[in-house]
This record gives sequence, C-alpha cells and structure tokens, in this order.
Amino acid sequence: MDFTFTEEQEMLRTSARDFLETECTEKLVREVEDGDLGYSPELWKKIADLGWLGLYEEIGRAMMPCPHLSTVVLGGMTILEAGSNEQKSEILPAIAAGDRIIALALTEPESAWDMKQTWDAAGVNVGATADGDGYVIDGIKLFVHDALPADTLLVAARTKKGGNPEEGITLFLVDAKSQGVSITPLITIAGDKQCEVVLDKVKVPKSSVVGKVNGGWAPLERSMQIATVLLCAQMLGAGQRLLELSVDYARTRIQFDMPIGINQYIQEHCVFLLRDVNGCRWSTYLAAWKLAENEPCDMEVSVAKAWSSNAYEHACWCAHQVHSGVGTTVYDGVLPLYSRRGKTFQLYMGDTTYHKEKIATLLEDWSPPERPKGAPLGLWEEKPPFWIPDWWAEFDKGT
Amino acid sequence: MDFRFTEEQEELRKEVHDFFSENLPSDFESRGSGPGTTMEQFKFWMELQKKAGAKGYLTPGWSKDSGGLGLTDMEQAVFMEESSYWGTSWPGTMGQRICGPPLHVFGTEEQKKRFLPGIAKGEAIWYQCFTEPDAGSDEANVSLRCVEEGDHYVLNGQKTFITSPGPADYLYTLARTQDIIPKHRGISLFLVDAHSPGISYGALPTLGIFTTEIFFDNVKVPKDRLLGELNRGFYHAMVTFEFERSTTGAAAGARRNLQELIEFCRQEKRNGQPLLKDPAVRDLLADRAIEVELSWLQGWFAAWHFSQRDKLGSPPPEAGGLHAKVVSADRAKQLIDAMGLYGQLRSGSKYSKYSGRAAQQWLSSRSTHPGGTIEVQKIVLAGRGLGLPRIPAKFNKEIRAAIEGVGV
Repeated sequence: MDFTFTEEQEMLRTSARDFLETECTEKLVREVEDGDLGYSPELWKKIADLGWLGLYEEIGRAMMPCPHLSTVVLGGMTILEAGSNEQKSEILPAIAAGDRIIALALTEPESAWDMKQTWDAAGVNVGATADGDGYVIDGIKLFVHDALPADTLLVAARTKKGGNPEEGITLFLVDAKSQGVSITPLITIAGDKQCEVVLDKVKVPKSSVVGKVNGGWAPLERSMQIATVLLCAQMLGAGQRLLELSVDYARTRIQFDMPIGINQYIQEHCVFLLRDVNGCRWSTYLAAWKLAENEPCDMEVSVAKAWSSNAYEHACWCAHQVHSGVGTTVYDGVLPLYSRRGKTFQLYMGDTTYHKEKIATLLEDWSPPERPKGAPLGLWEEKPPFWIPDWWAEFDKGT
Repeated sequence: MDFRFTEEQEELRKEVHDFFSENLPSDFESRGSGPGTTMEQFKFWMELQKKAGAKGYLTPGWSKDSGGLGLTDMEQAVFMEESSYWGTSWPGTMGQRICGPPLHVFGTEEQKKRFLPGIAKGEAIWYQCFTEPDAGSDEANVSLRCVEEGDHYVLNGQKTFITSPGPADYLYTLARTQDIIPKHRGISLFLVDAHSPGISYGALPTLGIFTTEIFFDNVKVPKDRLLGELNRGFYHAMVTFEFERSTTGAAAGARRNLQELIEFCRQEKRNGQPLLKDPAVRDLLADRAIEVELSWLQGWFAAWHFSQRDKLGSPPPEAGGLHAKVVSADRAKQLIDAMGLYGQLRSGSKYSKYSGRAAQQWLSSRSTHPGGTIEVQKIVLAGRGLGLPRIPAKFNKEIRAAIEGVGV
C-alpha cells in the first residue's frame, strides 16, 4: 500500500496550481460568467498547450470555468474508445491542440426531473431515425454543458425503442452550426452557461455515428464514469480551498477581542470541513486508482460521488457559517463562487441520492457473511443479557 | 499511489482467515457485545487467544523474541482487520494494542522479556488504567498519587471506567509523580501487578462494555516497574494513541455487520416485499456501505502512515477515527428506527429479529468515549490538526472564578 503521489505527479500538481493562481483569477471567473461563452478561450488554449489536462483538483480549487470535462473526457474519451479511425484522426489531435471543443448532449427536459432517469439510458428519448444516407435527429436536449463554445455536439439519441433501454442508443457527432441546431444558454446558479439545445430535424450523415448503431451507451457510460471521478476531484480541490480559507479566517478574524476560531462552535465547522474533504480525498483516489488499473469500480465510483456531493455541499455550508456576512458578498467574495459553481459539480453525473441508489443496487448482490467451519459449541444460544460477566465474582473474591 | 497489499500481506491474511474459519464454531454469532458474559464464553476466547498467540498472530509486528512474527505494523493491521471481520473478542486486547506497544518502545530489556511474551502468547490480561473521576477527557489531570519510599513506590488513589475484558493480571497505570504546571509533565507510567496488596475492584457495567473501578490503598510497586522515564509517562502514553488510531479493525467489523444486515433484509419481509426493496432501508444500507469504505480508507491511511513514521513522522490527527465514531452513532439510530417496535428487543427474546443487534448497537453507540470523546477529538483536530487557537490554560482559573462568582 502507498498513499503518496509520485514526484512527477506532485510536480504536475504544483505547476498547475502556480499556473492557475496566476492565470485563472477570481476576477477572470466572474468575467467569464458575465460573458457569453461560459469559458475563457485564451485560458483554455494555454491549458491545452501545456498538456495539464488531468489535474482536476487544481481546476476545482481555482473554480476554473473550462470545457475540459466535456471536450476531452466525455467527447474525446468516448471517441477514443468507440470512434472510427477517421473520427479519431480528425478530432483527437484537434482536441489535444485546444482547437476543438465538444459538448455532450445527453440529458432531456423530461428525464431531468428525476436523477434516476437523468443519467440512465432510459432517460434518453430524443429520437434519431434513419433517412436515406443518414439520420434525422429531432428533439430537445437540456442542461448541456459547454454547448455555446462547442464546435461539435456529441448527441446521444434513441434509435431503437422497447427492450433493454441501453441497447437502443446511438451516439452522433453533430456540427454545432448544422441547420436546425439552436443553442440557448440557461440561467443557472453557477452562471455556467448550461444550454438548451434544440435539434429541429437535424440531418446527419452515417459517418457521424460514433461506435455501433444502438451500441452507444457502453462507451459513453465508461467516459461518464471517468467524468464522475473527475468531478469528485474538482470538489476535493474546491473543498480543500474552502477548508484553508475558513481556518485562515477563523484564526485572523477578531470579535469579542479574540480570534473567532477560539470558539468551539467555529472550531466544529472547521473540523467538519476537514472530515468532509478527507473523505472526499480518499474515496476519490481509490476510485481513480481502480479506474486506472481497469479493475471493476462501480461501487467505488458511486461511493466517491455520493460522499463528495454531500460533503461538498456541507463543506460550503460550514465555510459560510465561519465567514458569515463576509462570505456572502457576490462582487468580491470568494465563497459565493464556490457555493454557486459547486452546485453543478454535485448534480452533474448524478447527485448523492442517485449514487446511493446505485450503491444499494450493487449491495443486493453482496453475499452473506462467511460462516466459520469449526464444530458447533452451543455457547451462543439466545440468552437474556447479563451486565456483569461470570468471571467477575471469582476475580472480585480473589482480590 | 497503490491500494494493493503485498504478496506477503495477502498470504498472512489468508493464513489468519483460515485460522478463524477453522477455529471458530459454526454456530458462533458475533453480536458486537464484547467477549460475552458466561464463563464458558470467556474460556473459549482465552483458549482461542492462546492458539492465535502461539502462532504469533496477535502481535505480528513485534520481534520474534517478544513473541511476534518480526513483521511490520502493516501486517499488524492486516491481522486486526481479519480478526475483527470474524467478530472476535480478545480478553487480552488491551495488552496487545495499548499497553504492549509502548512497552516495546520504552521498556527495559528486563521488562520486555518479562511482560511482552505473555501478551503476545495471549496468556496475560492487562487493563489500561488511565481514567479517574477527575481525569476523563482531561487525561493530564491524573491524581493517583505516587511517592517514592525506599526501594519502591507507593500508590494511593482511584481509577474508574477501566475496560475489563477478563480478570486482570497487570495494570498499566498512569500516576502523578510530581505537582507541576503543565500538569502532563509530572505523570509516570507503572506496570503494576493486579493482585498487589491494597488494590480492590468494583464492578461498573456500562451500556456498551463491562468496566471496573479500581482503588489503590498504599499499594507498593517495585522500582523496576516504572516504564520509561520518571515524569515522562504522558508522552510515552501518547505512542499508544497513535497505535490506537487505525480503524482497519472497525471497518472490517462494520463490513461483516453490513453483510449480516443485507442478508437479514433479504430474508425479512415488510408490506409484502423484502426489506431490501424498501427505499428507506436502501438509503440506510447505502450510507453504511459508504462508511465502510471510508473507514477502511482512513484506517489503512493511518496504519500506512504509522508504518512510515521514520520517514513521515507521526500520523496527522485527522488520521484518527472521528469519522467512524460520529457516524457509527448515527447509523445505530437509523437502524433501530428502521425496525419498528422490534428494534427494542434484545437477543434473549424469542421475538427478537436480527439477533437483537439493532438494540445492542444502539446501546453501544451511547459510549463513544473510549479513546477520547467525539467532542475532545474535535478539539484536538481543531487545535493540533488545524492550528486553531485555544483558551490559554492560565485563564482557566479566572474563568472558573468568574463562573463561581456569578453563582452558577
């Protein structure tokens, strides 16, 4: 067992933090929110150039608005897994160079009501019908991240009804500028430009299908699993920052002639922050490690997301309690950014309730505990409880 | 990062696993209520403990001379994990986990030779005698008086809430050897014979476990029973807390518990469907699964950190079991609430379900104090872990005076 990162991994992390602290200021995050695109093209270019793409903790810490998860993980990884050679050679180098942005169009107005539906194959009902040489996609996708700046939409559409819902989904690459595509940003807490994507009888060629017809769910599910763990890492990085901010504030803010951190009510909030973040850390690392080792990890991924989503919400709450009024100013306050933008991380790829239900389903397959094989002794028959053990009388007498 | 065990560790695990599988009776049912109360149960555990001790399993991290296997703390944690999975209850657990380790570090060669093999072989029962009526969370307030008299020490005073998993052979005793501020610099550790003249005991059963009060009336202790340096006892004892922290055992016990609970929910029906399909129960089970994984991770982080202490120093305070503690109390409540009126029944009733575990766990969840209350752990985490300020001790008297002045 080893709970440390390699030197190389540590260096990547440090340099990413240095970079983001200089380049991705809170001012920039707010500017991006007020802007139209939902990300900063200049910053995105720099990040992609530097090849620092796996470091979600630091992205979370900096609350960096960027289409990395959409483009590289949900788009790129899915294409890498299932795409044709032409698709790979056209798109992957462009992604790596920071020239191509992809958005995953998965969730729909109906399915978005119910988390169970939202992230499961059964929630995909926007249809694609065969039409001559290609397909026609018709319907509305909602809560699509990074659709505004996207060059390409990766659309999950239903191509077969009935039977196992997972076996009727096909993935399409749709040019965001295609006729019939209209993209409108939604007004969200995070100001993160999730969008309504209307696909009005959009025609796509056969060559736009990623992977097999009716076989799109499996590769997408794998990318979504990676994205889920990376969202946890984002919450971990953000949570760590909340912990540091809160402890720092508790030590330096003077009220009643004392630092407020001397009060145990305040201390408790800080301790809970620590607990929340630590749980987030180890469950996320374990899930990520298992993913990287290609071991079965449905349980670990869901545990990480279920814990992290809840813990992050709680961490925000604790940080706000420590900071009180100072933590609520929207123009120059840091906390509102973490609260507002963090809400998306909790919901995206399934919230705590959704992942707990997944865990419960996996638990149904757990085997009963192993029974020992020794000869039965009859020592553990049901008897009313005794508070004082039998050996006591003799021991008491002897002393 | 690597969450795998070494081949040797896996081998030891398998070996220990088979040991329990073969030696525990098939009708054994762990209810998490300690070694049991009947003489037969106690004798069974003593016998099994000696069997495990003969193989060196109880203390694999100790040197072979001391009765261990000469392995590391990681293997020690592997054993704890396996043993707790089966729901074992060792009468000698305090010696193995709490008194032995500092003895290993600070004991003289003679003390080691004399005491360690007895612990490792599972023959001796030790009590950790720290708590006193006025020294609970404030451990440094120990007032059991110790004075030097010729070639021995004399102890006078009282200990209380001493966990007692069997008749004691030795008492690992914290005593005041000097009046000094700060208080923790005047405390020493003694290895006292449990049957020394002048010692008497009183039963003090609690909701979770059986404990005793111990009275010291002019108890003579030979000079060579001082552990480590005079007046450094508090520091020596701190090592114990580092050993005590790893929750790998608790996590394994919780995993088995969860397996039992799932099986129960699979068999038992409510409103015509298995409990396993009940949304409230599913929520509870998922919460437990999350906790099992998190305390497993936290436990192994602590164990791993401890095993690397030459390189990394002491484990950080947050490696401790706060998490497991707070949560196990919540879960116990969730479980008993989910069982309707049946939740109240203990294992003795013919109507009891789930072997009365819900009631037992709920009762035990009332005693989260061993190893430090949740509240004290929070204070430690806030102070030592996060560097938050504390009220300086010199103001404590003023605060008390102020309160008394108002007549509270």
